[in-house]
Amino acid sequence: MDAVFKALADPTRRSLLDELFARDGQTLTELEERLPMTRFGVMKHLKVLEEAGLVTAQRRGREKLHYLNPVPIRLIHDRWVSKYAEPLAATISGIKRELEEE
Amino acid sequence: MDEYAVINGRGAMTVFETYIKTAPERLWDAITDPELRAKYSFGVRTDSDWTPGSHYKASVPGVIDIADGENLEVDPPRRLVQSFRALWSDDVKSAGSSRVTWEIEPVGSSCRLRVTHDQLADNANSELYGGWPMILAGLKTLLETGELLDTPGSLRYSQALA
Repeated sequence: MDAVFKALADPTRRSLLDELFARDGQTLTELEERLPMTRFGVMKHLKVLEEAGLVTAQRRGREKLHYLNPVPIRLIHDRWVSKYAEPLAATISGIKRELEEE
Repeated sequence: MDEYAVINGRGAMTVFETYIKTAPERLWDAITDPELRAKYSFGVRTDSDWTPGSHYKASVPGVIDIADGENLEVDPPRRLVQSFRALWSDDVKSAGSSRVTWEIEPVGSSCRLRVTHDQLADNANSELYGGWPMILAGLKTLLETGELLDTPGSLRYSQALA
């Protein structure tokens, strides 16, 4: 979990995740074009994100595509947020059930 | 490596990954055993005989049908490829069939689990693949701690049954 927080602590890396959130499965070249960063900078930050498990790379032919992997963030959510989210979600599903039964 | 080829223009794909401290066989069981599967999948069980070419159905019996499809490749405890037809609403039903690939790779005393959901339409409804982070996080927690998650989604249909 340390690696996830370290990776997220940097605004440049967060903007890389924003990019992948908006459009998943981008190549290094595409990311480099979209962000005010050198190719080397993008590579360096992607490596940190990959090591933290926040970005997953997949080879497709000669290309390497980068995908946002939200599972580590979900684990953080499960650890601290779940108990607060529970009553709200229960209320929403309760309302939905009532409406459906009407 | 062209495992994830674009077919009929349906190219969108999502990839989810997590490392779980467990043996591949145990992880395979957690994916294919209906009771275990339900514990981290919103209470939804997945029933099948798990032979190549067999049919599977994901549902909360008597409450809701979630998905069905074919087990295209079954290679325990490493690889499972399934066609995926969502059934929980008219909107997702209209999306037709996509593909889900489960890959288990041992790494030291852990396993890397990768779930690739591809052959989705470019403008695919995010509901189709949006549940995976919750499912994979729940699976990791279950196998590593033996505890069930009490997150809203994981309780969703078990509450409906109660």
